[in-house]
Amino acid sequence: MNLEGINHGRVRKAPENFLDQTGIRQVWEQAKNGRRDFLRNAFAAAAAGAASATAMANTSNPVPTEGGDPNILSLPEHSTNLGAGVVTDGYGKPSKYESNVQRRQSPGLTQTTQASVSFAPLQSLFGIVTPSGLHFERHHQGWWDIDPSKHRLMINGLVKRPMVFTMDEIMRLPSVSRFHFIECGANTATEWGNVAVPTVQYTHGMISCSEFTGVPLMSLLELAGIDMKKAKFVLAEGADGSSMTRTIPMSLITSGEVLVAYGQNGEMLRPENGYPLRLVVPGVQGVSWVKYLRRIEVGDQPYAAKDEAVHYIDLQPSGLHRQYTNLQEVKSVVTTPSGGQVLLDKGFYNISGLAWSGRGKIKAVDVSVDGGRNWRRARIEGPVQNKALTRFNIDWVWDGKPAIIQSRAIDETGHVQPNYRQLREVRGTRSIYHNNAIQSWLVQEDGEVKNVQLS
Amino acid sequence: MSNSRKSIIATLACAAALSGLATQAFAFEGIGRTATPKEVAAWDIDVRPDFKGLPKGSGTVDQGMEVWEARCEHCHGTFGDSNEVFSPIVGGIQPNDIKTGRVANLTTPGFPGRTTFMKVPTISTIWDYVNRAMPWTEPKSLKTDEVYAVVNYLMYLNGIVPQDFVLNEKTIHDAQARMPNRNGMTHEHAMWPGKEFSKVSKPDTNNKACMKNCETEVKVSSMLPDYARNAHGNLAEQNRLVGAQKGADTTQPPKK
Repeated sequence: MNLEGINHGRVRKAPENFLDQTGIRQVWEQAKNGRRDFLRNAFAAAAAGAASATAMANTSNPVPTEGGDPNILSLPEHSTNLGAGVVTDGYGKPSKYESNVQRRQSPGLTQTTQASVSFAPLQSLFGIVTPSGLHFERHHQGWWDIDPSKHRLMINGLVKRPMVFTMDEIMRLPSVSRFHFIECGANTATEWGNVAVPTVQYTHGMISCSEFTGVPLMSLLELAGIDMKKAKFVLAEGADGSSMTRTIPMSLITSGEVLVAYGQNGEMLRPENGYPLRLVVPGVQGVSWVKYLRRIEVGDQPYAAKDEAVHYIDLQPSGLHRQYTNLQEVKSVVTTPSGGQVLLDKGFYNISGLAWSGRGKIKAVDVSVDGGRNWRRARIEGPVQNKALTRFNIDWVWDGKPAIIQSRAIDETGHVQPNYRQLREVRGTRSIYHNNAIQSWLVQEDGEVKNVQLS
Repeated sequence: MSNSRKSIIATLACAAALSGLATQAFAFEGIGRTATPKEVAAWDIDVRPDFKGLPKGSGTVDQGMEVWEARCEHCHGTFGDSNEVFSPIVGGIQPNDIKTGRVANLTTPGFPGRTTFMKVPTISTIWDYVNRAMPWTEPKSLKTDEVYAVVNYLMYLNGIVPQDFVLNEKTIHDAQARMPNRNGMTHEHAMWPGKEFSKVSKPDTNNKACMKNCETEVKVSSMLPDYARNAHGNLAEQNRLVGAQKGADTTQPPKK
């Protein structure tokens, strides 16, 4: 995008009166009534008022009347005193000013904290890596901090010899380290029928991306002498109280993608994420990434475990449930600006967000600021990796008028992220799982950003 | 060249001739050991829909009620229909569903909630889950006969079996054939990576990457009402203090 003519240093403050009082009242009344022409009229009104807005030019970073910023003129304590020493904290923590950046529960979603979820604060994250302490959580029967010296992995079923491995042994094997996203199948579930939550943390926060280190499961299965003629399905089982089980697709095991992982972002897995061992199933919903992995069984039939016969099944309008829906299809979301935020001023912004696909790499991301009428191709922040989060961004100058920001991802198979109308035409609104619709954020004239859905 | 060096080279050549994974298996010498039958029996507890893995045992409805009242009722309610802690297990099933194998209420969008037995197609699933994960605070503490009994009781509460039904490793086949949603699953979709279930590989949505003057009406159809503004806590405290945007102070009413 051509940046010439954009004044980066002097962003303009939105004047109070760019919409007159009647216009503002009309916008709000009509928004409440859900009138068809709500935005059309609002856009028109804003356009009419645009000329007078320039006369109110101001900056958010003004020169104070004293002739300079006291933050510059009066040297702060940290410039004039001795700072802290090394190893003040043997495992460093974020700045105290970052305390708002937390994973959170969505109020009222679950009645227990042990069978529940916490959402990652996507609105506050940069790049593609989720800091391990902010990784979203999903526990089925509470989490544990397991002594790795006592943890064992068993392989049995259609193998020449059933085997047992210690962590020490698994960590002796040749390892690979790969970036992959993990998304709960129920991410964005609350939004199937209508808007239900205010921020991207709650709409999309059941996704995280880490560099995982581990051993291809296929190596261990080969070692145990897997019977490839009979083997069709593999069961993964956890060691926690729920002893989570899931049927794992053989095609992803034989491709070498499925990992038995112990590393996450350069350190061991966090206890909340399965320490000391979890399965990594790239592109597949998080429930298959069995934590506290204790057993792998090779079989010739699917297992219809509780989380593939009672939950994680997708109800269709016909009354049938889709079973064994594993893939997380192409999806994206703008994280900045996003719901619940307030734009400080008019002027330049860098719209930024995340895109991903369970079918492979992201090919392109398009961004609209007018509710999907016109789109521009976003910049991709490389590297673009297989079944990993991909960060995109694009320039935007906010003129103070209402705007609706959307992103639309396309994956390497050519699959284009659907809008809500297209998704609901096929799957209705009661599917719970696998909502990959285009997200819309309404930037109001007062700068506040709202989660909205378009018809 | 010494004999030992020759043999090392021969070994390497031999290993290189084998394809990747076979070479690794050779190199993984000394890693892992054979699991003992006792160890496999201790952990291999899964039960498949064809009942492979199901241990022998039996339980009556009356015995199941006793187990239920002692171990399950606290969370799930007397009749398994409570939603206070977990989703209801019992309810929503009509006698005809057992004939058709399709739960009619799943086609009624207005029907409130979906109970476990409205969804689950296979009783093996319930047996396996109760056995491995229940009760909530004492998973794996039920005896095999207690699992049979409590699963039988749940089927009775859902009208699937009569009160005098005895559930065992043989009658469980009959019970599975009466499951009200046994025909309620489809595998015809593109969301399983592989061909084991279905040949469908084409996604079910088909958006086009239109770039200019796309056919869409920009009409907001859904947004949170003002009264829900602070329902997720003060959003000002859920955003970083520095950056392009700040969090909205949702303790204050929206600007008018």
